[in-house]
Amino acid sequence: MTFDDIIRALSCTVVVRGTAFETAGIKSLVSSDLMSDVLTTTEEDFIISTSLNSEQVVRTADIVGALGIVLVNGKYPQDAMRRLAEEHGITLLSTPMDAYRVCFTLGCAMESRGRASP
Amino acid sequence: MTTIPISTHDSPPFLLDLIYRMKIKDVMTRNLITARKENSLRDIKLLMKEKAITGVPITEPETRRILGVVSMDDIIRALDGGYIDAPAERHMSRNLIVLDEDMPLQFAISYLDKFRYGRFPVLNKERELVGIITSRDIIVALLVEVNKEVEKLEQKIVNPVPVAGEDIHLEFAVRKLDFENAGKASTEIKKVLKTRNLNPQIVRRIAVASYELEMNQVVHAEGGTISFALQGDRVVITARDLGPGIEDVNKALQEGFSTANEWVRSLGFGAGMGLPNVRRVSDEFSIQSKLGEGTTVKSVIFAAAEL
Repeated sequence: MTFDDIIRALSCTVVVRGTAFETAGIKSLVSSDLMSDVLTTTEEDFIISTSLNSEQVVRTADIVGALGIVLVNGKYPQDAMRRLAEEHGITLLSTPMDAYRVCFTLGCAMESRGRASP
Repeated sequence: MTTIPISTHDSPPFLLDLIYRMKIKDVMTRNLITARKENSLRDIKLLMKEKAITGVPITEPETRRILGVVSMDDIIRALDGGYIDAPAERHMSRNLIVLDEDMPLQFAISYLDKFRYGRFPVLNKERELVGIITSRDIIVALLVEVNKEVEKLEQKIVNPVPVAGEDIHLEFAVRKLDFENAGKASTEIKKVLKTRNLNPQIVRRIAVASYELEMNQVVHAEGGTISFALQGDRVVITARDLGPGIEDVNKALQEGFSTANEWVRSLGFGAGMGLPNVRRVSDEFSIQSKLGEGTTVKSVIFAAAEL
């Protein structure tokens, strides 16, 4: 999936366009409010969805090489978080949907794509 | 009154250089609040209250010459003696010690120590009043300069330019509960690793280990250091902290065991995953801890460059 697909599927507001905004091919989603959990993931080409809007989410995304961050429940980042995302070139989105909706919507979308192009 | 603790014999050369290099005109306040000799002491008392100052130079506005100073002491004496409505010229201090704007800052410091005045008027070559210098002005100016110097020194420590193919050693200070800067060391380490042609998955493991160790120090320790060494194809991350030490190391290595408080958890950490996660991504892992002394964690990851 591209960021454009995700923005459309989740009705996202774009807060920061990261360096891979146009080119990223997103294959997976890690959804957690615990950055400790995110740090244990071995996923590749993924984005993080979380309701936590602190700088540590951006740091964690950078450390594990996530392509972007989706803030759920209509959370909007503080200035410091936005600045750090800009600095690290990480795409930052905000959606009004809750975590369950986000997982369900993206899960279905990724699944159907998987079937379409095995 | 305490003296300013910068003496000419045992201060660091940088400070001595600074107080001789900086001129009084670089430090003094130029925004002067003055009064005329005809003004009453009561008016001057009001002026002091309004502007929150403790001394007012009395000047001849036409010539910009200073005639005297009315200080808080003069006002107290006037209130005691019942002459608060008298004009300033009758009771101001005329026995003035003034400084020249081109003198080194060191003169102002030694004058403040030698005499019991809180401020000195500053004159230019034409003997006109151009400023006033207080110990506050000096402290602020010195702090600004010292900060600049410390920043320069810190950059030298944190950012040695890595040379391709050579071993790298970096060291970072970590402060207790400094969540704003938490993760900076790991970001720097990752940046340096990106300059080498390493497997991205190995870079990620190294970054995760250093980030978990860094967060552990921010959350639990009284501050510490994260050191990073790339020796050949061996990466060693060593986290040393200043305490308090771990009571039961085996428990701390169990997933889900945590002593973090609620607000640390509200930031997305403290789930008891830190140390187990470091061990998971490491090829070699060791931990030593002593209650009351501190903890040292060492993580080794083999990072052969991709061909």
